[in-house]
Amino acid sequence: MDDLTEMLKGTLEGCVLEIIGGEETYGYAITRQLNELGFADVVEGTVYTILLRLERNKLVQVTKRPSGVGPPRKFYALNDAGREELAKFWAKWQYVSSRIDKLKEGGR
Amino acid sequence: MNFWETVTGSDLTRDWQAFEARAEALPDDYRAAWEQIKGHLHPHGDFTGRNLMPILDAALGLLEETAADGQSVHEVLGDDIRGFCAALAGGEGARTYRDRWREQLNRNVARKLSRLGG
Repeated sequence: MDDLTEMLKGTLEGCVLEIIGGEETYGYAITRQLNELGFADVVEGTVYTILLRLERNKLVQVTKRPSGVGPPRKFYALNDAGREELAKFWAKWQYVSSRIDKLKEGGR
Repeated sequence: MNFWETVTGSDLTRDWQAFEARAEALPDDYRAAWEQIKGHLHPHGDFTGRNLMPILDAALGLLEETAADGQSVHEVLGDDIRGFCAALAGGEGARTYRDRWREQLNRNVARKLSRLGG
C-alpha cells in the first residue's frame, strides 16, 4: 500500500519500540522488518532518525558492535523507560483504533 | 575545545576536512546525497555552525554504514532528504536561522507599533 507515510508518522516510533522490545537489534534489520510487514516506503533514514530520537529521550540502551563490513553497528535494546513508553503507546493505540472502528461502524 | 580553537574556528576547519575525506571514500550516489544533506542542514546551523558538527558526523556515519552494507542511497534515504535532515536536526519544528530572524522582526515591529500607540 502506497502513501502510508503521513498516516504512519505518529505510530512509527511505537512500531520501532515494539520491534526493539522483541530483541536487541539494529537499524537495517528494523527497516527490513517494517518493509516485510507491508510498510514498503519506510527507508532506513526514517528509522535512523527515530532511533536518534529514542536515544535522545533515553528510552533505549545502545551498544556498539563490530560488523563484518564497514564501521561498527549500533545495537538497540529497551531500558525500563522504553518499556514504559511502549506500554503507553499500545494503550493509546488501543484507544485510537477502537474509536475509529466505532466511527466506521456508524456507532457515533 | 581550547580558547585558540574557539576564536579561530580551527577545530571546525579540521573537522570539515575530516568529513570531506570520509565523504571522498563513499560511492558516487552517496557523495551526491552528502552534498544535499549539507545543503539542507545548513539553515539549522548556529552562527559558527558548530552545533551541526555532531549531526553531520552522525549522518556521515549512517552513509558509511549503509554503503558498506551494499544498499543504494535511495533505499536508505528515499525521496525526502530534506525531511530526513529536519528530523536529524531535531524534528519538524527545529529552529533555523530564518525562524530566529522572523522572531526578531516580529518583536521589533510589535515594539514600534506599541510606541506609536497603534
